[in-house]
Amino acid sequence: MVRAHERALMVGGALGELLPGGCLRRGSVIHLHGAQRSALQLALLAAVTRSGEWAAIVESRDGPADFAGLAALEAGVDLERCALVRAVPRERWAVVVGALLEGMTMVVAPVPAYARPADARRLLARARERQAMLVVTGGSWPVDAALRIRAGRGVWHGLEPGEGLLRSCDVHVVVDGKGAPRRACVDLFERAG
Amino acid sequence: MLGAYRARPELRDRPFMVRERSGPREVVRAASPLARADGVMVGMRRREAEARSAGLVVVDADPSAEAREFEQIARAVEAITPRLEVAEPGVLSFPTRGPARYFGGDARLAAEIHAVVGPLLRPDEQQVRVGIADGRYAARLAARAAGRERSRILVVAPGGSGEFLAPFPVAALGDERLAELLVRLGLLTLGDFANLPAADVLARFGSDGQLRHGMARGFDPTPADLSVPPPDLVESIELDPPAARVDTAAFAAKGLADRLLARLAERGLGCTRVRVEAETEHGERLVRVWRHEGALTPAALAERVRWQLDGWLAANAPITRVADGDTRALQDLSALADAGCLDTGSGQGFGRGGIDTTTGGLVLLRLVPEAVIADSGRQLGFWGGDAAAAERADRVLGRIQGMLGYAAVGTCVVQGGRTPAERIRFVPWGEPREPVRPLQVGGEVAAWPGQIPAPAPSRVFVAPIAAEFLDASGAPVRVNGRGDVLTAPAVVRCRELPDGGGPVRGWCGPWLHDVRWWDRAARQRCARFQVVVDTVGAGEVACLITIERGRAHLDAIY
Repeated sequence: MVRAHERALMVGGALGELLPGGCLRRGSVIHLHGAQRSALQLALLAAVTRSGEWAAIVESRDGPADFAGLAALEAGVDLERCALVRAVPRERWAVVVGALLEGMTMVVAPVPAYARPADARRLLARARERQAMLVVTGGSWPVDAALRIRAGRGVWHGLEPGEGLLRSCDVHVVVDGKGAPRRACVDLFERAG
Repeated sequence: MLGAYRARPELRDRPFMVRERSGPREVVRAASPLARADGVMVGMRRREAEARSAGLVVVDADPSAEAREFEQIARAVEAITPRLEVAEPGVLSFPTRGPARYFGGDARLAAEIHAVVGPLLRPDEQQVRVGIADGRYAARLAARAAGRERSRILVVAPGGSGEFLAPFPVAALGDERLAELLVRLGLLTLGDFANLPAADVLARFGSDGQLRHGMARGFDPTPADLSVPPPDLVESIELDPPAARVDTAAFAAKGLADRLLARLAERGLGCTRVRVEAETEHGERLVRVWRHEGALTPAALAERVRWQLDGWLAANAPITRVADGDTRALQDLSALADAGCLDTGSGQGFGRGGIDTTTGGLVLLRLVPEAVIADSGRQLGFWGGDAAAAERADRVLGRIQGMLGYAAVGTCVVQGGRTPAERIRFVPWGEPREPVRPLQVGGEVAAWPGQIPAPAPSRVFVAPIAAEFLDASGAPVRVNGRGDVLTAPAVVRCRELPDGGGPVRGWCGPWLHDVRWWDRAARQRCARFQVVVDTVGAGEVACLITIERGRAHLDAIY
């Protein structure tokens, strides 16, 4: 038996205030999109690994290898519990993500252009059965997602032509789950440490 | 000294010395026969030695080479007696009771040692000195005194060690402060010191003095270790007929792994580093060292052996061939493995030295445990806590490793470096999570001048992507050798940026990185910029751009 509070994972900060109940629900699919989705996915990974759970990130062989370990560390991700699976070939994508859902609490994977609805439904069922979270990023997710988060336009502070340093960025975040969409400007680069 | 001969054969007919530092002075650690003929003595100051011998060549001491060369001597003596103790390269001792009885007396045993070791030290066999006495300390002084004998052998009769030691000066105790004190007390020789009552020595000089007192009387402070040597834990199997296919060899390896770990488990040990060795029917010998963070399980070990065999037996696979008996190459190889061949996970990193292919099936497979630890077992968390989750994750990641390859799955670890990409090392799953470049040096945070400041970008491209970094007139932005930006950046174009890039709203830099100029393959001279680009669809996007040899690349997106 799994009790309700064990099923949810609390997310802190401005992002947590936007989420329904301030938490991520296990056994569901979350779809991230928008230009700043990479910073957003690190925030979610941090919430999972900091509570002692395991997470994995899948990189497709077709896209660039771009996981940023240092930013993950700054965001509060426990790198020891954050596995990286690289260069997954096209035909193994669904198998690898499905296998990871067996042992990880959160699996982050880019949606490939070739994702089939049948595979997506199977992965959704697997996530629900194993009480794991599947975070799919970019592209278009062919089936239902419990939560769709968009990290859209950003405004950077601190840098002028020829002077200053990058300091912070206000990102326009829209959370579309149950009920009306919630939106706010969140500084995704305001990181622990 | 033997090491110097090997490394530089031209030294054979010239006088030379090996120097070492002793406090503020440089002294002679060893001298060649020609140098000794000129009057150079061990322990003499370098300048004096140079004055005595014209054209003296001075060589730096190399302790690891010494240890390596001395290992051959130790091995030769091992043929006579198995219970060896190497005190330091150059000095080894062993209890003589058994072997002396076998060879018919101490003197014959000493002659035997001389005959075995002498040829190894050519052209300087006169340097072999053998001393036999009651304890190790007395034997060592006897060996030193043996230099005066014609035969270079000195045997002190049993029970006669106290008498033998008596005329030596107290400085021979190797304790400068005590010796100075004894001399001021008027006790000039070991015999004088030995004559003091033991209780008085203890009262006046403490336990350390008591120890030296025992030595002066010819007792051994620490008797030779006579315990049974540790058992040979190597497991090997001969394959007949030779295995040319991975699955046949892997099946044999599975049994081998099970046996090895079962034997280790009997002794309460776990294995963290294992050497896989194989021989082919044509006599090629293949070696690779695998390390694991915790103790290896039979399944994990079998899996590693299988990956290894995959690499060896697959056509055109990179392997390393090691000549038989070449221990030095073996050491280099394990050092190579330690240094993290699979540094950035850019693919197979095995066998950078000498790439070759196997020409036949495997006839022999051997597993050598290189590092063992006391196995602390595994304790599952109450109600299946963190440990259970870790075990589940381990199982899944191991399975995916089996599916996609060893280097496809791993975790990141922070290390020293200047750019966000340099500061992260990808470690394949199962290997120890250690940085290659240090974060701390001697307790202080290592300095990486020109480090790109925080915040770190959220996407770092392993392979930088070509970009256009242009000024207002449409020409590429240029940076001169002093780091001055000659024209202000105005436009960035790159396929990874939203809408393909756009006008520059803000920029700073450059950070000039002129790194590893001593390494032809890895050197890099470039200028890095933080740039904020205005895009139509996504608003402002910050990125990290590198100019190297006039070309711009996109390193990372914030």
